[in-house]
Amino acid sequence: MTRRSFILAAAAAVLFSAVPIAARADVPVHVRVIKGSRRGPKQVDPRLDALRRQLSALAYVNWQETQERRVTLVKGRTEFVQLPDGDMAGITLQEERGTIATIEVALASRNTQSRLTIEKGQRIVHQVTGERDGAAFFLTIAVWP
Amino acid sequence: MTKKDCVRFAPMIGAREGELSEVEARALAAHLAMCRRCQELAARFARTDGLVAEALLARANARDFAPFVDQVMDRIGTGAPQGARSGRGLLGWVGRHWKGTLSVTAPALAALAVFMYVHFGGPGQVASLEISSQGVSTVLQTSDGPVVLLPPEEHPS
Amino acid sequence: MEADDLALVERARAGERDAFRALVVRFQRKVYAVALGIVKDPDLAWDVAQETFVRVHRGLGDFKGDSAFSTWLFRIATHLSIDAVRRERSARKEDVDEVRESDLEDGGEGILATPLGTDPRQNALRRELGEKIEEALATLPEKHRTILVLRELEGLSYEELAERLGIHKGTVMSRLFHARKKMQAALREYAGIRGDADRDGEDET
Repeated sequence: MTRRSFILAAAAAVLFSAVPIAARADVPVHVRVIKGSRRGPKQVDPRLDALRRQLSALAYVNWQETQERRVTLVKGRTEFVQLPDGDMAGITLQEERGTIATIEVALASRNTQSRLTIEKGQRIVHQVTGERDGAAFFLTIAVWP
Repeated sequence: MTKKDCVRFAPMIGAREGELSEVEARALAAHLAMCRRCQELAARFARTDGLVAEALLARANARDFAPFVDQVMDRIGTGAPQGARSGRGLLGWVGRHWKGTLSVTAPALAALAVFMYVHFGGPGQVASLEISSQGVSTVLQTSDGPVVLLPPEEHPS
Repeated sequence: MEADDLALVERARAGERDAFRALVVRFQRKVYAVALGIVKDPDLAWDVAQETFVRVHRGLGDFKGDSAFSTWLFRIATHLSIDAVRRERSARKEDVDEVRESDLEDGGEGILATPLGTDPRQNALRRELGEKIEEALATLPEKHRTILVLRELEGLSYEELAERLGIHKGTVMSRLFHARKKMQAALREYAGIRGDADRDGEDET
């Protein structure tokens, strides 16, 4: 590299370093739809082991994973997850700071909107359907899985 | 290096790749390499670039948007968009979802709105965990993350 | 995502309310943010954002898909926002777009000399800064607010800005330059941040 081209490259680096901060925010997430039942054997799907502590707070005894998806959330854009009851859950990254993310979960057909801040290693567990026949569906979101 | 050069090149500062012609980009780079004032200007612009978007999106995110979509749908009414195609057998499907739409306006849900701030104190934990919810009945905070529960259904469909 | 948008648009054109509802939910905050940046007033921005979606719904039949749905949506939002401001503002001296030598004088240096880190404990500081940025933005003339918002929030290129605003590319560049300079000056005033050449120098590593 000649001295002149080095100077030009360095100057170009200064020039093009002005990338908008907001445009860089994206967070990979692991989204799962899980079903909790009051009846059936007391059992947690082995894939849901990491969720045991959160799930233990609930009255459901049988937990099964029904859907799983990995997606990268881009700030301000909503990703949709189709739910078993026909509703849609919208997941939106609202803010990302280091290892902390604020995520909004909204259910299209309900007046339900939750804004939740979690750290890497934590998970959101959000009920997404009403209980029917002793069972209900939940959405779980892990950031930077 | 004259001020006239700076007047010419300053508006080009902050251009993204491909926005300037090759000739312009080379001339600007050459000018920047030698002009401390324009280097400083570029650095200042770079430091604040993106902050406006971040501030406005943060403001939008902080606002409760729960009523927004319903207000829009109310204004649109039941009419299909101009030029809409009909007769695709979707009326039944739309009909089913009307129940959900109607439930949106149930004042009982609004009464269940909660807004709370949970503060953590321990080292290594989130300094201030913010939770705001509308239309949910319970938010359990565990060390592994929040658990959000819906209210019992009043109008099972 | 664009294909996803178009699929929803197709369903909305066919009369599916839930599809249009999903489009509103998907874009509502960003449309509101664009409107807020231009009209300044949160309630007016809310109305403009709603009107945007009503117009979009009304025009779905005419949407040919030549451009991305989001481009079309934000074009409508921009024009409605500008119209709203122009209806409200009193006659005021227009700022010139050309760049003069005096415009190159220092102003705003030292702003954010401490780079914003990712430490969550700085969140409160960032939130406060966000408010200052919004206040500073509100002091700019409408045309400078608009171009800055479209550039930063929508990420429009010079060409797209020229097309959207109906001005030449050269005017886009000089207008953006003025907008940035004014923003920095306003930030300095609103945030109470003073110039600090030494700190400035430290950041240029």
